[in-house]
Amino acid sequence: MLQSISERQLQATRDPSHLMNEPAILTENLTRTFGALTAVDSINLSVTAGQFFGFLGPNGAGKSTTIKMLTGLLSPTSGRVRLLGMDFAADPVEVKRQIGVVPEGMGLFERLTGAEYLNFAGRMYGLDRETARRRSDELLHFMQLCDRPKSVIADYSHGMQKKLALAAAVIHGPRILFLDEPFEGVDALAAGALKSLLARMTDRGVTIFLTSHVLEIVERLCSHVAIIHKGRLVAQGSLDELRAGVSSDDSSPRTLEQIFLSIVGQGGTARSQLEELSWLT
Amino acid sequence: MADVTLSGTTGAGITGSSGTLGQIRLVAGLRWRILRNLMRVRNSRLDIIGLVMAAIFAGAFVIGLCWLFGWGAYFSVSTGHLAWFLLLFWSIGLFWQAFPLFIAGFGAPFEFRTLLRFPLRFSAFYIIGLAYGLADFAAVCGVGWLVSIAVGVGIARFALLPQVALVVVLFIWMNITLECLVSSWLERLLARRRTRELLFGLFILLSVSAQFLRPAVIDYTEGAHAYVSLQRLLSYLSPFPPSLAASAVIAAGEGHPLHFLTRVGVLLIYIVILSTLLWQRFAAQYRGEELSETSAPTKATTSSRITTKQKSDPFGFLSPQLGAILTKEVKYLARNGFVLISLLMPPLLVLLFSSQFAGKHPSVTHTRITSDTFFPGMMGYLVLMLMTPAYNCFAYESKGIRNYYTAPIRFRDVLLAKNLMYAAILVFEITLATILLSIRIGLPSAPVFAATILALVFAVAGQFTIADWVSLSFPRKLEYGSMRGQRGSGLSVWIAFGVQILLAGICTVILFAGRWTKSPWLPAEAFAVLALASLAGYFAALDALSNAAEKKKEVLIETLSK
Repeated sequence: MLQSISERQLQATRDPSHLMNEPAILTENLTRTFGALTAVDSINLSVTAGQFFGFLGPNGAGKSTTIKMLTGLLSPTSGRVRLLGMDFAADPVEVKRQIGVVPEGMGLFERLTGAEYLNFAGRMYGLDRETARRRSDELLHFMQLCDRPKSVIADYSHGMQKKLALAAAVIHGPRILFLDEPFEGVDALAAGALKSLLARMTDRGVTIFLTSHVLEIVERLCSHVAIIHKGRLVAQGSLDELRAGVSSDDSSPRTLEQIFLSIVGQGGTARSQLEELSWLT
Repeated sequence: MADVTLSGTTGAGITGSSGTLGQIRLVAGLRWRILRNLMRVRNSRLDIIGLVMAAIFAGAFVIGLCWLFGWGAYFSVSTGHLAWFLLLFWSIGLFWQAFPLFIAGFGAPFEFRTLLRFPLRFSAFYIIGLAYGLADFAAVCGVGWLVSIAVGVGIARFALLPQVALVVVLFIWMNITLECLVSSWLERLLARRRTRELLFGLFILLSVSAQFLRPAVIDYTEGAHAYVSLQRLLSYLSPFPPSLAASAVIAAGEGHPLHFLTRVGVLLIYIVILSTLLWQRFAAQYRGEELSETSAPTKATTSSRITTKQKSDPFGFLSPQLGAILTKEVKYLARNGFVLISLLMPPLLVLLFSSQFAGKHPSVTHTRITSDTFFPGMMGYLVLMLMTPAYNCFAYESKGIRNYYTAPIRFRDVLLAKNLMYAAILVFEITLATILLSIRIGLPSAPVFAATILALVFAVAGQFTIADWVSLSFPRKLEYGSMRGQRGSGLSVWIAFGVQILLAGICTVILFAGRWTKSPWLPAEAFAVLALASLAGYFAALDALSNAAEKKKEVLIETLSK
């Protein structure tokens, strides 16, 4: 099943010859302000096609704001977004045709059933009725969501909703997939299957842009990582490049968590904050 | 039932769980802070301006009737016509219980059940629930009118004031409890598909039966004086609370203390019974009652493959995107019991009006309004009723609104699909009402019929453009399938009202111009030109609205995703 889905979904990605030299995701001085607050400050991201890219940062660093700007949910105050060589602002409809999104909060129509929603998503991406129906069935089966055909999404558990949102994001075979916390609330069994699916998609040239607070997942899945802190991009590169950039007391390789903490640097603050909560600890 | 208290873990610094009054004060403070914070958002400020304007009009209505009820009570006591109290209490009681069902909650949308995560005492939960019942528009009216009755009685005969005040307090208590009970039960029943369908069927049966009941009542009371007929009818209703409250006042006025105490006692029994039932409903909510749409999941059948059935596509002639949005809209409509019921009301009301003002025996005017006047009027009324939701067309999208911004479509397609859905509903309702009217009073003359239909095209297409802009500019999330706390943005309601008044005025002048100039086809010709212009304007504005949707997407997503 996994094979059949990814085969069909990824047909569109097999001939990206005309854009070989162009990064899949490119931002130039991407900035977003909310009144006096600069949530994202002149970010320059470059993600090569086929990369599994992890986007990290502490709470409120600007991750979701960035992903919203990359997917058309938020307009940048200044700067530019280019996806697959196309300017987002110039041709948003064509760009959206090539991407899939699992946004923050998922954005599902909760009064539809899972099958109805997937059909809706497929048709919105221009699939014909028969293809949308067939892919919906396959995705529901793959995500193990077909045991409650009459349940509306509002009655799904959080993990089920997450799986459905992911299914809707891939139904049209996107060339870039944006995932905001995709594994949050998903059980270990499904998470394993999803990771295999995503890994196969990157093998076929699909670019995956992922945010997650679970650094172990990012470390295991992603080949490249960027870290945003207080709206600014503070690190970007492959995991090895990031490890090389951080000094170590011993010879053992640093984990992503250690890299993250050393770059964002909040260890001491956390300890002093903990001391203030003496009534709790 | 024992007072359920979740005192929680007593840790360092916790001196004990706060009392009921303290918890009520905390929730009141929370409501105040929510309101204050809302004022910091521009859209909410505009909304509150709209609400203030609505409050001025509603206030005039309430105060006007306060004066009428006060004067009625004063007149009844001072002239000795105490039986009129029956009419006063029944009219207040009926309004109090029926108005929230039709208007579906005027109150602020605040889900107080979310407070259950805190160690809230059940007594505080119960009182807060009742307090929300008191914040309802019908309750505000009812309390105002009942207080006016007490004031009227006090002015006419001061000695009666204590007894009347007691009756008024009890009647208010009974009504609040009953209203809360009815709405919580309705919410529970309509949460499930099967009971929703049963209630829906029952509602249709009752509505149709009412049409047959009326001629029977008229026949029964024919020739009798209205007052006598009313007395005869009210005698059958004596065991019910409004009659009990009124008869307690009458007994007090006539100096029968035993009768007064008996009525008050029975009224108290009503309150105890209703309070017990409400206590049980709230206790179920307090325990965390689940109002899910479907039954528990069946065991997973991973081995068997479940495929969705192949059905013919009713929107196959449209683009996939338009078809997808329309399909979604139809499913959302079919699963929203309250909206479905509200769609049934307009044709039924048209039928009711036809028996009041037109046909062979109009019961109110006694002078038959001709079909040429009645038909356009009723069609205008239908547009007024059915177009209002179009001014907040994203109300039920919730977080799903993001789909329209991440999908490869222009927003004009979303607006087009939404408008097509409203247009289809309008066509269905207008056709149904036309058939009913043609049976009841006959169709109007050809020029008036043509003029009316073209006027409808003009008014609807013109309104869609404005309604789409208002929906994008002043969105308001409504709780899907919920009856209470459903209120659109104050400003959008006023814009809708203003536009409808303006369009109704234009259409009326043009329709009457045909009569004044004795050119029966002139209105049809004028409306044909206006309809064409309106349609052209609508399609021309779609691109501009699409750009507006792009500019306003942050507010739209933020408001609907809350």
